[in-house]
Amino acid sequence: MRLVHGVYEGPQSYGILRTAASIRGVHTVFRALPGEAYFPTLYGSRERTGELAPVTLSPLREQPDDSMAPGNVSRDLSGVLRRHPRAEIIVVARSEASLLSGEEAPSLPETGTRNPELVTFSWEAVGRKETEGAELALEDLVRVRGQDPPDRSPYPTVNLFGPPVLSPGAEAEYAEIERLLDLIGIEVNARVPLGADARDLRRLTRAWANLLLYREVGESATLYLQDEHGIPRVTTPMIGAAGTGAALRAVGQLCQLDPRSVQRTIWAELARTAKLPWYARLEPPETFENRKVAIFGDFTYPLGLGYALAREVGLEVVACGTYLTHLERDFFFHAHSFTEGAFAEDDPEAVAARIEAAKPDLIIGTHLEEGVAESLEVPFLPLCPPTADRPFVERPLMGYAGSTVLADLLDGALREKKRKPSGEAGIRWTDSALQEVAGVPSLLRGRARRLAEDRAREQGSGEVTREIFLESRS
Amino acid sequence: MTILNESGIPDVLPPLHAVGNLARRLGDALVVVAGTQAEAHLVQSLPAASSPNLYPAGHDPHVVFAILDPEDPPPQGSLASRIVESVAGMRNVNLVLLVAARTAEALGVDAAFEARLASRKLDLPVQMVDPEAPHEIPGTLSTDLDDRVVSALIELCPKRRTSDLVETSAPKRGGLLGGLLGLGRDTPEQGDSRPVVLMGGTPSPEAARGLAAELSRAGVEVAGAVPADGVADLPPLGEGTVVAVMDPNLATAAAAAERRGATVVKTLMPTGVDGTARFVQDVSEAAGAGTSEVVRARSAWEELGALRNRIRGKRIFFAGDTGFEVPLARFLADAGAVVLEVGAPRLDRRFLAAELQTLGPDVDVVVSPDHRGQANRIDEARPDLVVCSPGLRLPLVARGHLCRSTQDFVQAGLYGYGGARRILELLASTLRRAETLDSLSL
Repeated sequence: MRLVHGVYEGPQSYGILRTAASIRGVHTVFRALPGEAYFPTLYGSRERTGELAPVTLSPLREQPDDSMAPGNVSRDLSGVLRRHPRAEIIVVARSEASLLSGEEAPSLPETGTRNPELVTFSWEAVGRKETEGAELALEDLVRVRGQDPPDRSPYPTVNLFGPPVLSPGAEAEYAEIERLLDLIGIEVNARVPLGADARDLRRLTRAWANLLLYREVGESATLYLQDEHGIPRVTTPMIGAAGTGAALRAVGQLCQLDPRSVQRTIWAELARTAKLPWYARLEPPETFENRKVAIFGDFTYPLGLGYALAREVGLEVVACGTYLTHLERDFFFHAHSFTEGAFAEDDPEAVAARIEAAKPDLIIGTHLEEGVAESLEVPFLPLCPPTADRPFVERPLMGYAGSTVLADLLDGALREKKRKPSGEAGIRWTDSALQEVAGVPSLLRGRARRLAEDRAREQGSGEVTREIFLESRS
Repeated sequence: MTILNESGIPDVLPPLHAVGNLARRLGDALVVVAGTQAEAHLVQSLPAASSPNLYPAGHDPHVVFAILDPEDPPPQGSLASRIVESVAGMRNVNLVLLVAARTAEALGVDAAFEARLASRKLDLPVQMVDPEAPHEIPGTLSTDLDDRVVSALIELCPKRRTSDLVETSAPKRGGLLGGLLGLGRDTPEQGDSRPVVLMGGTPSPEAARGLAAELSRAGVEVAGAVPADGVADLPPLGEGTVVAVMDPNLATAAAAAERRGATVVKTLMPTGVDGTARFVQDVSEAAGAGTSEVVRARSAWEELGALRNRIRGKRIFFAGDTGFEVPLARFLADAGAVVLEVGAPRLDRRFLAAELQTLGPDVDVVVSPDHRGQANRIDEARPDLVVCSPGLRLPLVARGHLCRSTQDFVQAGLYGYGGARRILELLASTLRRAETLDSLSL
């Protein structure tokens, strides 16, 4: 048992729902208490497409056998078949409460005329988390549809394995990579999972290679395709100009393209689109000198960003962490190429403490790191999922366009720091008040400090005393 | 009025979304949510996504998650000691609410025991709240947590008797006697004024205070409200207390108050003009301070004339989410709007008897509506305004309907004559804005 102030990941059922909802033609029957079914609400408000989430709740409740109200899984399944005639795959996901109740996974009722595939997961377990759930669900969906595979396409194509729905900027990432592949003359066979059709899952074997953009979710599905169908994969994170170039060259090689023509396209893109190298050369070296950055997030983003910032920009990466503790070893292996401060931690408070101890000048993280950035008064970029903001215009972080977005963000953040004089003018803190602040969890300290300073300003006091601080907290 | 049971799956915001709001409302309480990763993730991510009015729990020091490990169930008493530790690191904590749902129970945590143990160790009240405890009537409302928390707070109210020992004023004795003998509405003796406790008003304490002022004006002694700003402010509640329920979702809490011997006034909810008038009149009658609200109600209606003209004939559809829809629909129908359907994910007919009796003849109530069916009905009927859950709001907006979430109404403060004005103003401004946007040629 752990006591925490926040979590980075949802439960495994949430991950399954994210993967399943990404693929068109997949409908999920979610077996859960009515109070656990929050995915549709999040889906509606984050995606803002106007579609209802492709999820039907099968409420877990006690009711008499002759009741026709929803709650009986097999009856609910038949209902879904009737109401969603175009669904090709029906996934049954079970919530934590459902798993704990010890229910059996249901089987598909005979319909006679039309039989969509029913996918249930045997590995569901209560302690598993969102990312693992999403990854395993994707593998199972690819496996189910893997029978009777079509042959390789006559011209080079690749599958993109990227982030699932509800990842910030996911659509934009796929689009940018597809644009780059198009430039070097490779067609995208399927985007998986976001943007795929259930039928696309049958056609995955047409591809010459799998380009793994988001390892967290695509890892085991691409490994399966590699082992069973001999489709090689490229795993370099396509973040920053160097990573993107390396991945494009690797894909080009697997697709037997002329390396010189690939390189020409890369140079053209470096001249036109990719501004991160420009930024690194144009900005005076002093901007980056002794500038320390702490990065925290999932797997692909902190590694890709860490590499780009350390090598391409020349910032010192003092801490680089992941909340995906099950990928700890892999993460360390990659992170050690650019930082000494690699760590894996899934308690926001411990993460805040790690970041605080590293004394960075810039923090890149999830929305949970905003508090520690506030308390250290350093610029903050929420670039790693989960993030709280949901812009209408999605911007990529991957590919060459993504490197330009990154250059803009860095420019803004590092300049902001220069403009701001050290220590906000006006408000001082007494020693006893500082002692009190030290007692606040570091995750929440920034907010507490700000509230206390606001309170002091309200009262016209030039300094924050212990009393003012305590008042502001009550 | 017809009541139809559709036995579908309504779209309801999970009750746990309110944890952040509750922690902020109670002020001096630490809320410990015990369960799996799912509960913590829900509490943290849902509010910000669904409505800007909801307070996110993510950065609130007064909300802590106890995430249980299914492989390694905690030994008995360990949750209590963790609660003790986290309270030790905080100040101004006078109450701990242990929110433990079915998953905690399934993982072998006896939350009631842990709460008792923690309470003994801390010498603070620790109350267990189960947001999923089954109701007598099946169904889930998004405001269920509120109901459970108010029930838990009622347990913490001092009994009437102890405060009688302190205050020795003569009328109080009569009040106690009245409480023992007459249950509720028998004609009280002269000068026999009984204290009134208001129950509810969690989302909009301001409006609840306004209603308390309204009651005081009618000559009623308002002893306090549950929930109060702090544990110390909880009013005495027991035999001889008159409990006035402000929210239609507080059936469990009302039952808890009744179990303590308090008289729960059965009347309309103080929503809208007639609702407030009946509420004030019945509550003051039960408290022994007879008053007539007829004049006040008439003038309130007159003051709302201009606003009523703006919504007259507008067709409104309530999809059903919080349970506040029934009184809202009653008021809006009285004010001249056409209510097409009132969705009720759970309808406690006995508790809401007064409301249902006053509901106009043209209003249909649909119990546990199916949200996909509702979306189709909305498409067919094309109402002027849909009041629905945050989950339905976006799909309906995309289909070209004008939507407000029920939460917006609840947070705006529904109570009293002022609340009636606020409801109509909210509607009128929503409609006005939609008209301005519609008049653009895009």
